[in-house]
Amino acid sequence: MSHPARRLATAGAYPGRTVGIQGDRDTSELDNVVVFVSSPMRVDSAPRRVTIRQTNEEFIPHVVAVTTGSTVEFPNDDLIFHNVFSLSRAATFDLGRYPRNASKGRTFTKPGVIKVFCHLHSHMSAIVRVFSHPYFAVPNREGRFTIPNVPAGRLEVTAWHERAGEVTEQAIIEDGAATELTFSLPLTDPE
Amino acid sequence: MTALVASRSPRLLVKVLCFAFAVIGCVIVAVFVLFSWQTNARLTRTVVENMEASQQRFAGIDSRLRREHTLQAMALAENPTLKAAVDTYYSERGNEQELGQLRSTIETELVKLQQIMAVPALSVTDVRGVVLASAGPNKEDWPAGARVPLRVEENGAPVETVVLRNGHPYSATAVPLVLGRDVVGEFFLASPLDDGYAVNLAAEARADIAILLDGRVIASSTPPTLRRALEGVVLPLSGTIVLGQDEYVVQRLSSVDSASVYALGSVTTAARTATSETGWVLLLAGAGALLMAVGGSWWVARTVARPIDRLSNSLATMAKARDFDRPLPPTGGSRELDTLTTTFNELRTAVALAEAESEATYLGVIGALAAALDARDPYTAGHSQRVADLSVAIGRQMQLSDPDIETLRLGALLHDIGKIGVSDAVLRKPTKLTAEEFEQIKLHPTLGARILKPLRFLDAQLAIVELHHERPDGRGYPHGLKGDEIPLFARIVHVADAFDAMTSARAYRGALPVSTAVAELWHLIGIDFDPQVVQAMASLPVALIEPPQSSEAATDRPPSRALVQFPTRVATHTAQHGQVALRRAE
Repeated sequence: MSHPARRLATAGAYPGRTVGIQGDRDTSELDNVVVFVSSPMRVDSAPRRVTIRQTNEEFIPHVVAVTTGSTVEFPNDDLIFHNVFSLSRAATFDLGRYPRNASKGRTFTKPGVIKVFCHLHSHMSAIVRVFSHPYFAVPNREGRFTIPNVPAGRLEVTAWHERAGEVTEQAIIEDGAATELTFSLPLTDPE
Repeated sequence: MTALVASRSPRLLVKVLCFAFAVIGCVIVAVFVLFSWQTNARLTRTVVENMEASQQRFAGIDSRLRREHTLQAMALAENPTLKAAVDTYYSERGNEQELGQLRSTIETELVKLQQIMAVPALSVTDVRGVVLASAGPNKEDWPAGARVPLRVEENGAPVETVVLRNGHPYSATAVPLVLGRDVVGEFFLASPLDDGYAVNLAAEARADIAILLDGRVIASSTPPTLRRALEGVVLPLSGTIVLGQDEYVVQRLSSVDSASVYALGSVTTAARTATSETGWVLLLAGAGALLMAVGGSWWVARTVARPIDRLSNSLATMAKARDFDRPLPPTGGSRELDTLTTTFNELRTAVALAEAESEATYLGVIGALAAALDARDPYTAGHSQRVADLSVAIGRQMQLSDPDIETLRLGALLHDIGKIGVSDAVLRKPTKLTAEEFEQIKLHPTLGARILKPLRFLDAQLAIVELHHERPDGRGYPHGLKGDEIPLFARIVHVADAFDAMTSARAYRGALPVSTAVAELWHLIGIDFDPQVVQAMASLPVALIEPPQSSEAATDRPPSRALVQFPTRVATHTAQHGQVALRRAE
């Protein structure tokens, strides 16, 4: 799935209000990329506990990938109230408002793309990708990633970014051997 | 005389009034016209300035309103549900049921916002301009799936634009829906550019509104004629323009893409109201001024004409009464009129003096004439003067007024003036007169009256001259008047005449003694002589009646002061028995 989107500096659209998105934190759009085996398969694995912090009116990290049954915690680090809700089909929920140092979590049982928002701060958003298998990874700042223990066979592997879209490659995985794949996504990092 | 003047020429008062009013009225009308014209011009200028100022003010207000409107739109675009739903819409592509639910979520939010904003149409599109959902009364023009051309600002700022939907032009504010650093969709607030919009705006602007798209009028609050006049006209950004026959103040309120909104104010209409109001006030003031002018003219006319009127009335009264003895009263109206009055009075005095002088001359001449007449006959010499003296004495005794005494004296002096026409032969005839001769003698009173008649100042004396031979019994001449019909003065002179005749010598007899003459008077009282007059004469002191020349009679004169010895009682008796005396005389 690819989504056309325009990138822009938000400062112009939010006059009189400063949010610590740019400059304060070392960010890269690579952090928002998920590479995963997109061939349908269901492999149970141990549920994980992942945290998306609400810091400086921003969900950090912006994108997380988990297996089904995993729980995502949303602790509030800000002095202000935050809220977490989603309208996505895979998980429609609203955790309500809660203050600093409080935290609420949500266990995701269905695979899919779950877009998470804050009702109090309309510019905040995060994405939880839920997979029915553990074969996914988020590349490092060099753009490298490793997906271990992928079962052998002919598989489709996809690199995805919410705005830049996705690129899918065919891969033939052999037992005991590492297969190298290269993806190219039109990403632009903020200056 | 007054009647003649009144019928010929108008009264001075009217003339002065008309003249004064004409002058004042003309000045007032001229001032009024000039003032009206000037006021109209100034009013029109003021109206233009006011309209320009108010339109500029409204343009300012309008642009501020639009800015606020945009800010409101931006605030609304921060709606988290809307953003969440639009953003989620992307990730749910492929699942129609889910997308439908998200669209209705968006629509629900839009309906809520529409209730707050009361915008004809609210719409949300994705980043390509495909409508996801709409709300508002005009949402039919913004159906889901329709494509709206987007104009995108690099910094994601809101854009004002004109969008054609179903052939209807909309003025729209497009605000990007921003999530993080990304634009996920577009939020539209749209108002149709129709006549209703123009009318609403016109009500706020208090001016007509015309909306032009590519130079074509697409909506207006103006009547059709003006709308037609606007077609193809290049309107200035701000200023005045003549459309049809009227002048308009024009101000462009806003311009988006190729659409422009103009405010139009008719100078003619606005000025008409203002000038008509002012016109009424001016007209009222003018009418008031004219009314005051009438009053002022009336006062001026009266001030000028009144004294002249008074003077002319005094003169008319004087002329009518022929009474020139009193001087004219000064009018006090003006120095000229007073001079006129004084001059007239001086003239009057001079004329009176001249008249008196000529009267005196006349009298002198006539007196001389009378004396000359008396002197024709030695027996009657001094007769007229004596009769005059005696008449005056009797008149005084009868307590007549001084002017009457004067009339009496002069009348007595002239009583025989008619004898000028009687021949000497008859007049001086020593023997008894024939009947014919006596008839000649009897003519002298009438003749005297005729002689004196032309002398107007002797009018009062005429009766004395003409009637001094009438007798109470009606047997006198020339008219045979009786008793009281004979004027008193004539009766007095008659007695005095008879007495002097009796006490004067004649050719045929000597002078009778006074007592005899008086007795004769008493004897003929009520017959030939008036009782009152005889009685008055009888009570006169002797010295006053005694003829100076009758020396022979002087011896007979009684020593007493009274004229006669008759006791008053007898006189009264006689007077009371006038009838008896009359009978005895017969």
